[in-house]
Amino acid sequence: MRLLIIEDEPGIAGFLKDGLEEEYFAVDIAYDGKKGLDLAMTNDYDLIIIDWMIPALSGIEVCRLIRKSGNVIPIIFLTAKDTMEDVVFGLDAGANDYIKKPFAFEELLARIRVQLRNTTQINDSLNAGPLTINPVTHQAFCNSNEITLTPKEFALLEYLVRNKDKVCTRSRIIEHVWDIHFDSDTSVIDVYITFLRRKLDNAECGNIIQTIRGVGYIIRES
Amino acid sequence: MKIETKRVIRNTSILFKKWSLMSLQHRIAIYYTIATAFLIALVFTIIYFMVERTVYKQFDEVINTEVSEIFSDAHVTRNSFTSFSQFKNRIDDKKVDHLDNKHDDVEHTKVDLEFTQLVNTSGQVINQSGNITKTLLTFNPGETQARYFNTTLSGSTVRQLQLPLRNRNGVIKGYLLMAVPLKNAIIVLSDLENVFLFSFPGIIVTLFILTRLIAGRSIRPIEKVIATAEKMTQPNINQRIALPYHHDELYRLSSTINALLDRMQDAFQREKKFTADASHELKTPLSVVKGTLEVLVRKPREQEHYESKIQFCLTELNRMALLIDQLLMLARYESNKTNPQIQEVLLHYTIDSIVSRMLPIALEKEISFRVDSMESDKVAADPGMLEMILENIISNAIKYSPAGSYIAIKVERNERTMLCHISDQGIGIPQEKLNTVFERFYRVDESRNSGTGGFGLGLSIVKRLADMQQINVSVKSLKNMGTTFTLKFPST
Repeated sequence: MRLLIIEDEPGIAGFLKDGLEEEYFAVDIAYDGKKGLDLAMTNDYDLIIIDWMIPALSGIEVCRLIRKSGNVIPIIFLTAKDTMEDVVFGLDAGANDYIKKPFAFEELLARIRVQLRNTTQINDSLNAGPLTINPVTHQAFCNSNEITLTPKEFALLEYLVRNKDKVCTRSRIIEHVWDIHFDSDTSVIDVYITFLRRKLDNAECGNIIQTIRGVGYIIRES
Repeated sequence: MKIETKRVIRNTSILFKKWSLMSLQHRIAIYYTIATAFLIALVFTIIYFMVERTVYKQFDEVINTEVSEIFSDAHVTRNSFTSFSQFKNRIDDKKVDHLDNKHDDVEHTKVDLEFTQLVNTSGQVINQSGNITKTLLTFNPGETQARYFNTTLSGSTVRQLQLPLRNRNGVIKGYLLMAVPLKNAIIVLSDLENVFLFSFPGIIVTLFILTRLIAGRSIRPIEKVIATAEKMTQPNINQRIALPYHHDELYRLSSTINALLDRMQDAFQREKKFTADASHELKTPLSVVKGTLEVLVRKPREQEHYESKIQFCLTELNRMALLIDQLLMLARYESNKTNPQIQEVLLHYTIDSIVSRMLPIALEKEISFRVDSMESDKVAADPGMLEMILENIISNAIKYSPAGSYIAIKVERNERTMLCHISDQGIGIPQEKLNTVFERFYRVDESRNSGTGGFGLGLSIVKRLADMQQINVSVKSLKNMGTTFTLKFPST
């Protein structure tokens, strides 16, 4: 899952990136509104976290412009503005959630999970055939056998499971699992897929990840 | 007696209370009515007495003419009385006279009802005209001068003259009494009196009602002002009083209140902005420290990682402590709790000490100082506060100056005032922002983390401190050429 953080305070952006990357998110940071809007418009993020008071373009403006372009991506405001009017104003500008500073990091994580949760999903666990993964605990099971994965392997598997029955192109996988600083050499995906397949095979999960030649990969439910 | 006094005092105090609670409309009406009542009463009295005097004067003249006639008919001058017999026939003649000429002489018709009587000094009647039947004319013994007065004769009011008759030696030997009935005149006078007495209360009551109405009309705009002001609470301060059509006192009152409201709204807004800024500035480092530590304790890490994160948090906390210090200082100075201890300060000493203190920081940025001070530069200021002002301005200058530039400090005398200019060659302040630099949390570059590390409170503190000591601070700036702050000290 790839996130964009638009935040001018380096201290906050710094610990957010550190903490979120530990949670297997790919994180990009923009230090002002204009840059943030550019990134949001050109990349396919899974969620955007915006501060309200940022230079060049305010968080509210960025939020409005993203919504105006027809993008329904989840947006969370993370701001020191804390009056009831501010919260209402922020949410009305198109944000999905509003977190006041100072905030608890665990709460932010929980709220990010809420936004990423599918509307039909009852809890945080994701299923695909015999495979169950839990993005909160970062555990993956195959018929109740736990599979030990590295953060990147888990992030890759999570993305494929979230998009089960859909073909995930290499470029999309790169966009959602790696951050912007990654040199887009897609062969690295093939390497990680090989690792994943080996581990899944060991857990008696069968060949759940299928290759669509020349396009990408897919996990099928059945 | 005591109880009575107490009751009076109580009643008076109640009256005063009622008076003080009375509406302006009533009070204007009452004042006006009282004043007018006095005037009307005065005018009525004057008119009454003037009419009365004119009427009596006419009767007095008639009497006088008759008396003169009696004297001339008797061939006596007024002060040569010898005996009553001189007049005896005259008075009888008069009577006959009057009977004869009743129908052909207007003059006589007018006086036909005169009553004449001669008395001696003890009031005994010597002779009298025939028309006096039963009653005698009023006699006041001991009168030495001729006197006109009103009295009654057979139940009707008459005007009477009592004239002393003197012999050649001036001794009063008797009196000539002559009276004419007032008749219609007295009716006219009493009618006039009645009209005045009865119309007075009517006029006063009508006047009071009219004045109350007019006063009510003319203070209606005040009611409007009150109604608008009552509706105004803090969140709803953007309402304004509608200005009346006439440019009168009420117009001025309304526009003054509106101007006051403008200033208040401005102050509220600035206060609101300040609170928002202060909370942002305080919450940001708090969030950074909190978040960093929260992320830090989620997993076991290496020693170096811990150390670097804790060091980072300490830096943030120090920044926060500095901000809190500045906010407290500003709050203390703005609440006017500290009074400046004004004394004579030698400007160049203060400048030298600050420059030497700031030199290490300046040298780090390769910035030099050029000080152009003078020997006798005494100014009246609080030494501590003056130091804080100069320190803030100079540290700002260092902050916004490029490496290799210099900061010029120049002291000069302008007539009776001392001026101190502090110029840098820094980024400058845009013209349109020049008047906002002294506002709290103002920063030229607006992005909050420019690496300059300030909060935008320094210059607000400078302004506040300067105001307290009557020092005028002004600022001139050219974009990318530098900024000059000028302190103008009060003349000594």
